[in-house]
Amino acid sequence: MQRMCKIIENRELCRDVYEMRLECPEIVQESKPGQFLHIKINKSADPLLRRPISISRIYRDTGCISIVYQCVGKGTEEMAALKQGEYIDVIGPLGNGFTLFQRKKSAVIGGGIGIAPLLEIVAELTDCDAYLGFRDNTFKLDEFASACKELHIATEDGSLGSRGNVTDIIKDIKKYEIVYACGPKAMLKRIKELCAEKNVKCFISIEERMGCGIGACLVCACKIKEGDAWHYKKVCTDGPVFEASEVDFDD
Amino acid sequence: MINMSVDIGGINLKNPVLTASGTFGFGREYSGYYDLSKLGGIVVKGLTLEPREGNKPPRIAETPAGILNSVGLQNPGVEYFIKKELPFLREFDTAVIANIAGSTVEEYCIMAEKLGSLVDGIELNISCPNVKEGGAAFGVSAESVYNITRKVKEQCKVPLIVKLTPNVTDIKEIAVAALEGGADALSLINTLLGMAIDINSRKPILANAVGGLSGPAIKPVAVRMVWQVAQAVNIPIIGMGGIACWQDAIEFILAGADAVSVGTANFVNPYAPMEILEGIENYLINNQFGSINEIKGNIRL
Ligand SMILES: Cc1cc2nc3c(=O)[nH]c(=O)nc-3n(C[C@H](O)[C@H](O)[C@H](O)COP(=O)(O)OP(=O)(O)OC[C@H]3O[C@@H](n4cnc5c(N)ncnc54)[C@H](O)[C@@H]3O)c2cc1C
Ligand SMILES: Cc1cc2nc3c(=O)[nH]c(=O)nc-3n(C[C@H](O)[C@H](O)[C@H](O)COP(=O)(O)O)c2cc1C
Ligand code: FES
Repeated sequence: MQRMCKIIENRELCRDVYEMRLECPEIVQESKPGQFLHIKINKSADPLLRRPISISRIYRDTGCISIVYQCVGKGTEEMAALKQGEYIDVIGPLGNGFTLFQRKKSAVIGGGIGIAPLLEIVAELTDCDAYLGFRDNTFKLDEFASACKELHIATEDGSLGSRGNVTDIIKDIKKYEIVYACGPKAMLKRIKELCAEKNVKCFISIEERMGCGIGACLVCACKIKEGDAWHYKKVCTDGPVFEASEVDFDD
Repeated sequence: MINMSVDIGGINLKNPVLTASGTFGFGREYSGYYDLSKLGGIVVKGLTLEPREGNKPPRIAETPAGILNSVGLQNPGVEYFIKKELPFLREFDTAVIANIAGSTVEEYCIMAEKLGSLVDGIELNISCPNVKEGGAAFGVSAESVYNITRKVKEQCKVPLIVKLTPNVTDIKEIAVAALEGGADALSLINTLLGMAIDINSRKPILANAVGGLSGPAIKPVAVRMVWQVAQAVNIPIIGMGGIACWQDAIEFILAGADAVSVGTANFVNPYAPMEILEGIENYLINNQFGSINEIKGNIRL
């Protein structure tokens, strides 16, 4: 569905990373973790396209959704300049989202801005650990700390937690029955391998450039293995969440 | 009462607003937004004889007021379309036009034969810039346009629309060739060949390096071409290229189009075709015109 949503808050969490809270009760009703919103930032033809941004938190009591985004270009920079009380054009919720298994020991693994969609997972699951990796600046650690059993952090510059990659701090992946991950492709590829070695079920959220966001234009292709064959699936409607074992990263 | 209906080479459309091939899938995705029966017609995603997986991603790059795409004709093949997609489209009271592409003239002919009169019209895509073989190659010389149009027309049980590529020196010459080959109508324009480069990685943004430019950025080129073609031929024209609002649509009709197709605008605003339809109707009422025909090509020079 398409709605004009009121911006309740739009604040900087750390350098270039913002959180925006939107009032959108109808969207909230249908949303689940891992789905995304397709946002038209202004009315003009430049930037022309909507921007896909993951749902980070769903506040069912207040009818709000929060998104966490990083300024990387024209669209996200304009988004950061929007003020509380303004309205923004949103289509959503879109995509399949994560299916959560309450009774299974779970972990979320996130890198950089990829931690955003994991927040709602840890908020909904009772037995979940988190492994988060950042380049330098960290954000949203308090929320993870209060919702997770264990919180493990890695930073590339060593300013917090272990120095290095998030995949290096996962000591014992096989104690988990399910892993949910989101982040850069290289990280997702490594997690796919780790989970495959130890036979751990793993779901990952993939990013691809989008047009329509609803399955009509076929620009958001992701290579998916099916037996010996492969197909391009649509990240916007077949995903963005896929089982790691079926995603072909090698191409 | 305003008469919104138009005749496109024998296809009767209840109104002049269609959706452009490749931007509207097979209609399903947009059917949740409004009643597809309100559309004049739907031109489906380009079909090929066999299913195609299309090009490697990334397949889209945003440029100022436009997008480059290199989908590469990903589609489930003409037979799957007939069995699985067409019955859904037929639930709606709107014209269904099949856009077909091939790498040989024979492939186009076989597809036209298979489609028979199951659809209301066939749009010959000889202008896709995103596939190596065939596609645009057929659309860039008058001789090959004439040949393919004539051969497919022989197999065609429904009106044949030839879709022109803007990537040519003289669009009028191509339009005349299609007319002489037996086209019942023309649609224009397909995308303009373009390229975008990421200056940090020094790589093209599209995995295919080049792609087709669409959206508001190409509108002036499209309006000019519709105008030139309308003067050169006397068959109906479906105009498209960057139409995002009703004012854009009126501009195309004034340039000489009988109907318009909405493409890239669907991605930005799923309701765009409905808003455009309403705007055209209001424009006619406010300016006291009784039909689309009264404004078609009606510019003051
Ligand atoms: C399903 C999904 C969920 C996402 N969730 C988040 C999130 O929660 N937080 C967040 O900060 N970012 C998220 N992204 C990435 C976000 O969409 C891009 O960072 C954003 O579109 C960049 O726009 P821009 O105008 O600032 O950058 P520009 O580089 O100027 O954008 C140019 C074009 O490329 C596209 N683009 C650029 N980078 C990406 C990318 N990584 N993924 C997809 N398209 C891209 C843009 O949409 C635009 O069409 C998500 C992407 C997807 C596909
Ligand atoms: C993602 C995408 C896919 C397209 N696929 C096709 C296609 O399969 N066949 C075709 O004839 N044109 C195709 N086109 C071209 C459009 O039908 C249209 O001619 C062009 O985009 C110009 O109109 P617009 O600016 O309103 O989008 C495609 C365009 C886009 C953006
Ligand atoms: S973005 Fe259009 S099909 Fe996925």
